[in-house]
Amino acid sequence: MKYRPTTRTFRRLSQFLFLVLFLVLFRKTDYSGSDTLPYAVNLFFRWDPLVAATVMLAARKVILILLPSLFVILLTVVLGRVFCGWICPMGTLLDWLDKGIHPPEHATVHLRKIKYLLLIVLLISSAFSLQLIGFLDPFSLLVRGAAFSIDPMLNWLFTGFFDTIYAHAPAVADHVTEPIYSVLKNGLLPFRQSFYFLSSFSLMILIAIGALEKLGKRFWCRNLCPLGALLAVFSRWSFFRRIPATSCKNCPQCAPNCRMNAFDPDTGKLHHEECNLCMDCVDDCVNQSPRFAFTRRSNHEPVNLGRRAFLGSALAGIALPVAAKVNAGPKTPNPFLLRPPGVENEEEFLSLCVRCGECMKVCIENALQPCFFESGYQGMFSPRLVPRLGYCEFNCTLCGQVCPTGAIPKLLLQAKQKAVIGIAVFDVNRCLPYANGIPCMVCEEHCPTSKKAILFRDKLVIDRKGEEVVVKQPYVVEDLCIGCGICENKCPLPGASAIRVLTANKGPGGNSGYGG
Amino acid sequence: MDRREFLRQVAGWSAGALLASPLFQITPELMAAERPLPKVAIGTGGDITAFVQRVLAPLGGMKAFVKPGNRVVVKPNIGWDRRPEQAADTNPEVVKAVVSLALAAGAKEVLVFDNTCNEERRCYHQSGIKPVLEGMKNVRCDYIDKRKFVPVDISKGKSIHKWLFYRDALEADCYINVPVAKHHSLARLTIGLKNIMGVIGGYRGEIHQNIGQNLADLNTVIRPAVTIVDATRILLRNGPQGGSLRDVKVLNTILASPDVVAADAVATTLFGLKPAEIPATRAAAAMGLGEMNLARIQLIRV
Repeated sequence: MKYRPTTRTFRRLSQFLFLVLFLVLFRKTDYSGSDTLPYAVNLFFRWDPLVAATVMLAARKVILILLPSLFVILLTVVLGRVFCGWICPMGTLLDWLDKGIHPPEHATVHLRKIKYLLLIVLLISSAFSLQLIGFLDPFSLLVRGAAFSIDPMLNWLFTGFFDTIYAHAPAVADHVTEPIYSVLKNGLLPFRQSFYFLSSFSLMILIAIGALEKLGKRFWCRNLCPLGALLAVFSRWSFFRRIPATSCKNCPQCAPNCRMNAFDPDTGKLHHEECNLCMDCVDDCVNQSPRFAFTRRSNHEPVNLGRRAFLGSALAGIALPVAAKVNAGPKTPNPFLLRPPGVENEEEFLSLCVRCGECMKVCIENALQPCFFESGYQGMFSPRLVPRLGYCEFNCTLCGQVCPTGAIPKLLLQAKQKAVIGIAVFDVNRCLPYANGIPCMVCEEHCPTSKKAILFRDKLVIDRKGEEVVVKQPYVVEDLCIGCGICENKCPLPGASAIRVLTANKGPGGNSGYGG
Repeated sequence: MDRREFLRQVAGWSAGALLASPLFQITPELMAAERPLPKVAIGTGGDITAFVQRVLAPLGGMKAFVKPGNRVVVKPNIGWDRRPEQAADTNPEVVKAVVSLALAAGAKEVLVFDNTCNEERRCYHQSGIKPVLEGMKNVRCDYIDKRKFVPVDISKGKSIHKWLFYRDALEADCYINVPVAKHHSLARLTIGLKNIMGVIGGYRGEIHQNIGQNLADLNTVIRPAVTIVDATRILLRNGPQGGSLRDVKVLNTILASPDVVAADAVATTLFGLKPAEIPATRAAAAMGLGEMNLARIQLIRV
C-alpha cells in the first residue's frame, strides 16, 4: 500500500519541529563565546499574547519586544487555536504523555470555564500591577521546570555515570566512554552542572500537570491554561472551521475522541473556541467526511461563564492586588534579597517579571536563583542573586538580554558595570585579618571594579599567639562597590562568607528604617 | 554466589577503589653545590613570533626544551575575564608564538589551559587566547576538567604538605611557564612563581594566608623547563586583574630563563622593585629553587 500522509502526519511534524525549536532555544540560552546572544532565545515568551497583555497592562505602556505576540493573535483570528494544537510545546508533551497514561474518554466539560476565570483574575490583577502570570503561563512553567530540575538532573545523571567510570574503571574503559561523553558535552548536555532552589517544586508542578491527564486528555489545555483561554477568545472570530459544526448522531467516533472535548455532550454541537484544529476527526472519520475550510462564521453558542463566576473572578482580580498592597513584607525588606543588575524598583520589577526563568537559565555563574517566599507569594520564582552560590560576572550582560519583558533592563556593558546590585559589608568578627590577625586578600584580589571597591589599611593587631603584627585589613569603598558578590563568593572561610552583600539603599521608597 | 556474598564483595571492591586514590610521588631533584650562573635572556620589540624566537635563542632555542614527540604544556595566565590590552592575562600573541615554536620543535601535542578565577569560558574567549589558537593542529585549549585534579604529597614543602594538582601539568614531558608580569596587592607582583596557581585545585583562597612560602612549596612540585615572562604590557596598579588602561604600561619586553626564580627576579626590576621585596621570590630562593641575586644572574640582552 502506498503511504499517504494525512493531516495528522503534518500536525505531528509541526508539533515535533516546534518542540525541537523550543529545546534548541533552551540549550542556546547560554554564553557562547560572544558577549551578545545571537538568537532570540526568549522567542516563546515574546510571541506569547498572555505575557504581552499582562505585562503591558502592568507597565501601562507598549513594550516593543513583545510585539511578535500580535502574530499569534493574528494567526488565531484567522485559523483558530492552531497554536494550541500545532505549536505549543506543552500541548505536544501532553499529547505524547497520553500514549502512556490513557486518559478516560468521557471527561467532564464543567471545568472548562475555570481557564476563563483564571484569565480574568490574571488580567485584572495585572492592571493593578500584581503579576501572577508566572504561576500559570505554560512556557514559564515549562522553562522553569526544564531549567531548574530536568536539565540539571539529566546532567547530574550523565556526568555521574561517566565520572564514575573515569574515576574507578580501568583506563581501557575511558577510550570507549570519554569520546561519547565529550560528544554529549559538546552538544546535548549543559556546559556545567547547575543547582537551583525550588528544583523539586518546579518538577512537581510539571508532574502535577502531567498527572491531571488521568482525568482527561489535555486536561491542562481544556480547563486551566489561561493562554488557551485568551486564544479561545480570539478564535471566536476565526473563519477556518470544521464543517459540519456538529458530530454525527449515534457515531462514536469524533466526540469521544476529541482531545479538547469540544463537542457538546448533549447537542453534539462543536464549541469552536475549544477546537485546537488537530483534525483527527477528519482523519478518523468512518462516515461522511467532515472537513476544515474557510467559511463564514456560523452563530454558535456563547461561552456562558455565569454572572456570579464572572463577578467573583473580577472581584478576586481586584482584591488580590489590594491585599498585596497592605502586606507588611515590603515594610521589612529582606536585607539579602538582591535583584539582577539594573533592577531599580522592586515593585515595578515584580509587576514586569513573568517568572519565565530565562535569566536564571542563562546566568553563567548560576548566581540567579528563584525566590520562594523571600518577597511574598507574589514574588515566587522571581530571580535573586545568591552570591555564595555564584556572583554577577562583571563583563556579562546576558540576563538583561534574555529578559522578554524588560523587567531586567537590557543594559550596555558600561551601564551594567555601574548598576548597583547591593553593597558588600565585612563581618569583622570572622574576617581573618580582623578576627585572627592573619593576612588574606582574596576579596580584594577578585574585586572587579577598575578602581577597586575593596582597599586595605595597615593595622597593628595582636595575633593568636599574642604577638603584635602589622596586618592589611580590607574595607569597602561604598561609592565604588556595585554588589556583584564575587567577594562573598570567593571568601575562603568555610560556611558563611566574612563579607556579605546587602541590599543597597536605592533612594526614597526603596527602604525602611529611620524616615522610611 | 548468594545475595549476601554479592553485597559483601561489592562493598569490598568499592571500598578498595575509593581508598586507592592516585598518588604522585615527586622525588627531590639533586641539589648541585656548584651551579653555573643561570641565564636570563631579555629583549624588546618586533613581530612577536620572531621576537620570542630571538629571546629563546641564547638559551639554545625552543629545541633545548622541547624534544620531538614531547607532550608539551604551555601554561599562560588566563585567570581573568579581561581583554588583552588590559594586561591581566598573558598576551595571546605570545601564547601563540610559544605554541608554534613548540610545535616546530617537534612537539606531538601542545596543551594550553589555566584554572581561571572568573568564569572559564569568558576568560578563555575574552583573553583572546582560545580564539588565537583556534584551528591550530595538535593544539588543545580545553577548559579545566575537575576530575583531573590529583592529590600530590609536597615532600619538600615547609608550609603545605599536600595539595591537588592538575594531572596534565604533572604528566607533561615539557612544561613551559608563560606568565604575564603584573601588580598584585598581597604578593606585590605576580609573575612566574605565582602562575602555578593555575594548575592547582582545591580551595585556592587558603594559599593567600602565607602566600610567599606557599607558592614556593607549590613550585617544588612542578618545575618549568623554561619560563617565558610576557612583559609586553605590564599592569602597574589594581592588580591582579586591573581593568583600566591607565594602569597598563606598554614595555614590549619578553624575557626567558630555565630558572623561574631568576626570571621573576629580573622581571621584578621592570617594576622598579628589588627581587627580595617579593615574598615568593625570597622563599623560593631560600629553598634553592633558583637564583634571585641579580649579581649572580647572567643577563643576556638580545
